[in-house]
Amino acid sequence: MADDDAINHRDRCAISGIGATDFSRSSGRSDLTLAIEASLAAIDDAGLQRADIDGIIRCDMDNVRGNDLIHALGLRDVTYLGENGPGGAAPAAMVGQAVAAILSGQATNVLVFRSLNGRSGVRYGQSPVEGARVGGSGTYDEMFAPWGLMTPGQIFAMMARRHMVEFGTTAEQLGRIPLACRARANANPAAQMHDRPLTMDEYLDARMISEPLRLFDFCLETDGACAVIVTSTERAQDAPRPSAVIRAVAQGGLADPQPGIQFPVLMRESITTTPASVVSEVLYRRAGLGPADIDVAQLYDCLSITVLLQLEDWGFCKKGEGGPFAESGAIDLGGSIPINTGGGHLSEGYIHGMNHIVEGVRQVRGTSSNQVPCAETCLVTSTALPPGSALILRGA
Amino acid sequence: MGTLRPLPVVDDHDTEGFFAAARRHELAIRMCSACGAVLHMPVAYCRQCGSWETTWQPVSGRGSLYSWTVVAHQVHPAFPVPYTLVLVELEDHPEARLVGAIGGRPALRAGQPMEVWFESVADDVVLPQWRPAPDEDGTAGDPHDT
Repeated sequence: MADDDAINHRDRCAISGIGATDFSRSSGRSDLTLAIEASLAAIDDAGLQRADIDGIIRCDMDNVRGNDLIHALGLRDVTYLGENGPGGAAPAAMVGQAVAAILSGQATNVLVFRSLNGRSGVRYGQSPVEGARVGGSGTYDEMFAPWGLMTPGQIFAMMARRHMVEFGTTAEQLGRIPLACRARANANPAAQMHDRPLTMDEYLDARMISEPLRLFDFCLETDGACAVIVTSTERAQDAPRPSAVIRAVAQGGLADPQPGIQFPVLMRESITTTPASVVSEVLYRRAGLGPADIDVAQLYDCLSITVLLQLEDWGFCKKGEGGPFAESGAIDLGGSIPINTGGGHLSEGYIHGMNHIVEGVRQVRGTSSNQVPCAETCLVTSTALPPGSALILRGA
Repeated sequence: MGTLRPLPVVDDHDTEGFFAAARRHELAIRMCSACGAVLHMPVAYCRQCGSWETTWQPVSGRGSLYSWTVVAHQVHPAFPVPYTLVLVELEDHPEARLVGAIGGRPALRAGQPMEVWFESVADDVVLPQWRPAPDEDGTAGDPHDT
């Protein structure tokens, strides 16, 4: 690993435009239509024309391919096509790939998008069982699904239970995370849970899904799309709106990531430490920043427990202290590290990490519906179970 | 747990030895023949020493409870809720964990002794399952105790 990897890309690219569709349970239109809408919005926000786009980067789980968007948008000069994943590990990595394409001269204005009908179309988090036999071919599902271990939520429940065993974390402490996200969503008109406040009693009384995780520990299956335009920091100065400078990007994972689709992560030496523990080291080093320098964070929240673990793995508190830290109010507006200011996956919508990038840009632009005063730096993470990614944005 | 129960692929190149042992009512994990590293999830190549020589090593069938979850939201018709998924750390090789299912909501605590038993679920499929080990007073763990 190069010690000087920081200076090679630090501050040299920026997000000049953002776009998003509405978030809903039933969009009534195709994944491609959602992708087109979000892309056009991002291109317009960046002050560009469609023809200016010469790079496209997609998530590996997206139903929309690069050629779909090239054709649909009538692009003629796309010379860079990229892909990253798996799934929610993609968004920051996709932006990083755009940075690499730009700095290596392969593209100038790169469209990064994620589109899914995650509620009305293919729903994630369901049983992997399709036929009479399950697993094989490197999935390792055969070592888990026949016992009834079938969903990511059950994996995260095991992790949450283990955190409670090791550190005494309580349900009330964990519940502070969905409550914080919900309070931010209540101020964000675009959030799916905008009109639905949530109290601690309601959180605790909600039905169990997989103990100790309750209904509101789970994210919202969502139809929608988000897109951003990445360009050089120099070019971004011509954009009509303030850009978000990409301070640094990073990907990484644990030394024992474990093979397969998902369940083998339960074999990791510790299931209460996430890949963020590695990504954070790389990203902070590349950015020349530390946790104390981060003003606001968009933390990947497919479930509440992933936020609690990341608060520790990103160094906002010590290992094991995520529960008391959340309970202290540190993650709320006015706290030391406000999180998920759009409402997050738990209460805004689950665009597989991509809406976190969009909200991160809003924060350093100063246009969030839950604006953190004088926010100069925003951490955005795309990291739960698999090797993942993250980036730090700063105001231009 | 019902007849629609999903059955594992038992002839995968990397994992078939686990199910072959279970059919003999043995618990076995894959290990490196050269350096003794535990290769779990099962795999043909040892990342520790680079050997391709592996063996399916019988283990004791005793372990301790590492984590668990009571599944309350049903996701598959073969698994009526509530049931409890247990993650058991093997006594012989704590770096290897195996999953088991216990009906209902048994009283469990982290680190408690667990023991394997073998459940036939099809002609060619036997699953190693886990239940609380008998206490010192001889009380047996019952997999169906709720």
